[in-house]
Amino acid sequence: MSDTPVLKVENLNVEFATFGGAVRAVRGVSYEVYEGKTLAVVGESGCGKSVTVQTIMGLIPCPPGKVTAGSAKLCGRELLTLSKEELNKIRGAEIGMIFQDPMTSLNPTMKIGDQIAETLVVHRGMSRREGLTEARRLLDRTRIPEAAERARQYPFEFSGGMLQRVMIAMSLACKPKLLIADEPTTALDVTIQAQVLELMREIQREDGMSIILITHDLAVVARMADDVAVMYAGEVVESGPVDEIFYRGSHPYTLGLQQAMPDARHDAGRQLDAIPGSPPDLFAPPSGCGYHPRCPHAMQVCTKASPASFEISPGHQASCWLNHADAPRPETAASPVGSAQE
Amino acid sequence: MISYIAKRLLSGLVTVWFIATATFLGMHAVPGDPLLNDKAVTPEVRASLEAAYGLDKPLPQQYVIYLSNMLQGDFGISFTQKNRRVNDIIRDHFPVSAMLGLLALTIAALGGITWGAITALYRDRLPDVLIMLLVVFAVSVPSFVFAALGQLVVLKFNQLIGHSVIPVAGWGTFKHMLMPSLVLGLGTMAYLTRLMRSSMLEVADTDYIRTARAKGLSAPRIFFKHQLRNAILPVITVLGPAIAAITTGGFVVELVFAIPGLGRYFVQAVQQLDYTVIMGTTVFYGAFLVFMVIAVDIIYGFVDPRIRVDKVGA
Repeated sequence: MSDTPVLKVENLNVEFATFGGAVRAVRGVSYEVYEGKTLAVVGESGCGKSVTVQTIMGLIPCPPGKVTAGSAKLCGRELLTLSKEELNKIRGAEIGMIFQDPMTSLNPTMKIGDQIAETLVVHRGMSRREGLTEARRLLDRTRIPEAAERARQYPFEFSGGMLQRVMIAMSLACKPKLLIADEPTTALDVTIQAQVLELMREIQREDGMSIILITHDLAVVARMADDVAVMYAGEVVESGPVDEIFYRGSHPYTLGLQQAMPDARHDAGRQLDAIPGSPPDLFAPPSGCGYHPRCPHAMQVCTKASPASFEISPGHQASCWLNHADAPRPETAASPVGSAQE
Repeated sequence: MISYIAKRLLSGLVTVWFIATATFLGMHAVPGDPLLNDKAVTPEVRASLEAAYGLDKPLPQQYVIYLSNMLQGDFGISFTQKNRRVNDIIRDHFPVSAMLGLLALTIAALGGITWGAITALYRDRLPDVLIMLLVVFAVSVPSFVFAALGQLVVLKFNQLIGHSVIPVAGWGTFKHMLMPSLVLGLGTMAYLTRLMRSSMLEVADTDYIRTARAKGLSAPRIFFKHQLRNAILPVITVLGPAIAAITTGGFVVELVFAIPGLGRYFVQAVQQLDYTVIMGTTVFYGAFLVFMVIAVDIIYGFVDPRIRVDKVGA
């Protein structure tokens, strides 16, 4: 982690103007992605995970969307102020992106091969024929059988898992530095999920690219991530190396997510502890810490002041008042593993 | 694909047979008969005329004669126009109507797609608001008003130039066709514009357009290569019914612009209870429409790969 990050997001704020007022979807998000590493962004639906990456990619519609503050730098180069043309040179070439639902993410009336080749034609100046040859190679690489024939087919002739491989092949066509995967396996069944994740890891090892993996599946995080950023109500509440987050989680929300996850080894038959309630309405985020209305350990200070970021260990931060020197030490916050087994 | 086309053609034939039968029965249910118009008809003359046209035979027998003649492509002789065969009327005048309709359809389709795409591109801005206002106008005003207005515009234009550039009425050259086909296609164009607009907006919000943007494609490339083709699909499906709207609308426009098309004979025949001409033109138009709709469906299969299901071995 010594070198400069491939992507550095700092204090990003995004709002959406709606009829009822501004929705503050992203509130001061910062994270970094390092070369060849995977950052997993986790959190419930509506926590701003997708909005953050779509803002980086310039994919949110403006208006109603608006970046009110912050920066996102790819290898030191600011992305948020680029012109459309400059941004188009980066999208697809230096940052690849794959989406949640592969069945709807490909153009239904265009052949698979052409859709992959298009990226190469636009960014690498290839002819269509060269692009198609390369597309077949990419399909082969993502282990799609009979790539040559498949390249001539349309999306509706593919299964969901195969289409996600196509998406991966397409996003990797120009060997991007960074791959953003927005819940890439949510729409797939479990066995296919494992294959797709394995494929992503393998390509990462070979090409040395970085990955931002958005998910709400902690099993996927454990399998894939080097670093984790936990998001809640448009903020990063805890971030750090994957082992730190899993074994020394220091934010009640992180612990809540872990307890809501089934674990076949330790507690078969245990009732899962869902976090009561749902994420706050971002029209009017709660005062103080965004999590306090649902937090079992909420203190008076939590309702009044936003918690600062506390360093738990090098590279591991948590935004929770419980980590303050003056805070009482509830068992759960100090020893999460113990509490999970209670 | 082959079996699909065969199935469609077969059901088309059944539809045409149904049209033919319904017309036959409907027409015989109307009071009066084609000979009533000739005032001084003595019983003897009447009897001989009825015998000549076969009207003295019982209805089922007439039906059988009518169907078997039609199967051989013979629609019979007109009752009111001396010795003129219905086939000749169709042959002489249908090409005129078809030409007018085809031009109107082309204008409607190209115009509808273009205007629809523009309104979607400028959503909620001035061009959109303006065009959509005109669309409401074009949808609600009947075609005979537009026909008269069109003639007025042509007249004023000619007066402005000083000599007749575009003829106000009549038929013969391409210039004659311009205003009538524009008038004829206007309503359909407006309808297609609305359809295209909503279809474009729907496609703009899809995941695959987001993918295209994430690929770093330029806005024009996304528009033409990804958005347009997918947005046109619903427009193509309504082209079949649009042909029906244009051909039926054509009767009125032909009348106003004094165009010697089939529509005029059709309307005249109904007024004069000219059995053979009514049946001939109705069945002919019916068959034409039915097979145009089938043709559109087949074309759709070529534009949308998802429809071509039973391809090689799949």
